[in-house]
Amino acid sequence: MNQDSMLSQAQAMSNLYEPAPLHTVMRSEIDSSLRLPLLLLVRTSTFWLVMGSFLALLSAVKLVIPSFLDGISLFTYGRIFPVACDLLVYGWATPAGLAISLWFMARLCGTRLHYTKVLVSAALLWNAGIFLSSLALLCGYSTSVELLEYPAWGSFLLFIAFLLMGIWVILLFATRQPRSLYLSQWYFLTAICSFPWAYATANMLLVWGHIQGSAQGPIHFWYISNLFGLWITPLALGMAFYLIPKITGASINSYYLGIVGFFSLLLFAAWSGMTFLLGGPVPAWMVSASIVATTLLALPMAALLVNFFKMLQGKETMLVKSPVLRFTYVGILFFIISMVLVMIHAIPCFNAILHFTDYTAGLLVSLLIGFFGMTLFGALYYIMPRLTGVAWFSTQLILRHFWMITVGVGLMVFSSLLGGMVEGIALNDPVIAFINVLSYAAPWRWLMVIAWLLIFLGSISFIRLLILMRWQMIEESIPLVSCSTASNS
Amino acid sequence: MNRLSSLFLSVAFLFLSAWLGFVVYSYLELGRMKPLEGSDGVLPPQLSGQAILGARVYAANGCVTCHSQQVRQTSVTHSDIERNWGKRPSVARDYLRDQTAFLGMMRIGPDLSNVGVRLSNPRWHYQHLYEPATVVAGSTMPSYRYLFRLQKIQGQPSAEAISLVGNHAPQEGYEVVPTQEAKNLVAYLLSLQHDYTLPEVSPENASTH
Ligand code: HEC
Repeated sequence: MNQDSMLSQAQAMSNLYEPAPLHTVMRSEIDSSLRLPLLLLVRTSTFWLVMGSFLALLSAVKLVIPSFLDGISLFTYGRIFPVACDLLVYGWATPAGLAISLWFMARLCGTRLHYTKVLVSAALLWNAGIFLSSLALLCGYSTSVELLEYPAWGSFLLFIAFLLMGIWVILLFATRQPRSLYLSQWYFLTAICSFPWAYATANMLLVWGHIQGSAQGPIHFWYISNLFGLWITPLALGMAFYLIPKITGASINSYYLGIVGFFSLLLFAAWSGMTFLLGGPVPAWMVSASIVATTLLALPMAALLVNFFKMLQGKETMLVKSPVLRFTYVGILFFIISMVLVMIHAIPCFNAILHFTDYTAGLLVSLLIGFFGMTLFGALYYIMPRLTGVAWFSTQLILRHFWMITVGVGLMVFSSLLGGMVEGIALNDPVIAFINVLSYAAPWRWLMVIAWLLIFLGSISFIRLLILMRWQMIEESIPLVSCSTASNS
Repeated sequence: MNRLSSLFLSVAFLFLSAWLGFVVYSYLELGRMKPLEGSDGVLPPQLSGQAILGARVYAANGCVTCHSQQVRQTSVTHSDIERNWGKRPSVARDYLRDQTAFLGMMRIGPDLSNVGVRLSNPRWHYQHLYEPATVVAGSTMPSYRYLFRLQKIQGQPSAEAISLVGNHAPQEGYEVVPTQEAKNLVAYLLSLQHDYTLPEVSPENASTH
């Protein structure tokens, strides 16, 4: 499809400029229909964030002090580290992102949720799946396919639970009032459709069934790039495109760039995964395609940034006043950083040095917690008071949360970038014995311990805010399920 | 066809292009790759039953979080081969027999694609797995002593017992022997020998296409 026809098509069918306003009645009806399932998803996912960052902290400590809790099967590095990663991706990011997209979708479509019970049951099923699968990993039932470690029954449970939750985003959209179609909706729908497809494909070939080993590499890294590029990233972008105009009152500056950004991100992210196998046992054309695609990610990045920064122009002071905006823009800052890290990683001569070092880990943390996480927190600071009718308890805690996570992820990026470089240069010099490479890496790994500690403490501040909010709700006796929802569900 | 559905079709098209390129191509081409009938038997060689069980122990304990199993091509870097991690770069056919290809993303420890070639003594591996730092001074690899069993010496000491000195030594009259899991794991490690020549790559002509 050429760009002109895409443009005219988009112009005709949608108002890309800003999310349209809603009637007050509609708003409160939507909020009460979503209250119970969303609070459930937000609270459980935040709990997994705390658990995940705690286990990540523990594994970071084990890398620098191997004798710490050593020789115990339940706490061995090779088990708790994957549990931590999976908790962050599937325990926290996935259900939290889903909850946010449900709320934004309902608001943008002007529709309320029916059959709350199905969504609540699916959310419970998801959490049961996460809990049982994490236990299974600790007990040694891992597949050892990175980010697909859960045993077959676990990932199947998650897949079913996801379908039962994700379908509501699509149903909300399908029953929308005849309203404009805003850019955020494109992002949410794309994310909701591509994740189950990728998850099912990868599990089918690598976990539920086993394709011959020679074909597993490309499929595995295709999945990882989809997970980050077509699930985590579009969710966060959808949130940012909703939040920024709402707070600043500015509308999207250029919808032409909005469209270019959307389609090119989709295409290049989908093709980007094989840089993780550069020089590895995959056909050369796949790697070349991914190098090109990753380099071209600069295009959607630039297109997105123009819009994000034009919307802020002249309103920079709001960054100080509005925590929502502050979290969102720091998220965007980490988006830039992550994209640059991803692009550096795709250049063969740099990849030869940086891949297989802590650099790779830092890149994923920057994307997951820096970009997605900060944007998500921004969205939660916006949504939760509207959903519960209770204001945030303490600006002090919000500020602490903000700085802990920002400095934590910043330190993570800094130490993994420099540490990865030092490690990589040492690894690439065969004169340096492997055992000595470890001592080059050690100081940077200490910094990563501090980074994870900050991220963990930041998550604690956030869960404290959620608990304080819950108390406030009890005191003001705000029901979890409003009458209208109860009678309808 | 209305405009909304053409939007969705273009989204689906972009997403599926990579799915077709990476997944379906791999499924059809790499997934149907056949072993080769060489003069010195089938390549890659069959794995023993014990090695297959050992690969599960490798998976269960997450060795892949620290160890990769791929020797990179010389067009990208020479260091993998110069570090003696392999004589030639890994190719897709090397993983033909693996239920899970443990390619890995991190090298907190050395690459293991050819560990069976450079470290062929099972006793070394038992000792190393039990307490890595006693074999490699300064090692940060975790101990896998939960794969071993402390038992009372009955008559003659067991031939399998690992020799331990200092504060790692068991009390008088006891010995440390590997469990079946440890034996399977070491059988798997010893089977990691991708040093045969395949038509697509040979040690002499290390830079492949
Ligand atoms: C926390 C990261 C970590 C984990 C997990 C880990 N290793 Fe290691 N491994 C290392 C490090 C670091 C070295 C290098 C120092 C040494 O030789 O002990 C190493 C070295 C080795 C070596 C010697 C390789 C050589 O060429 O000298 C073998 C064999 C090995 N590991 C096997 C395993 C197995 C099997 C597992 C899983 C049961 C495992 N490792 C899990 C970090 C790890």
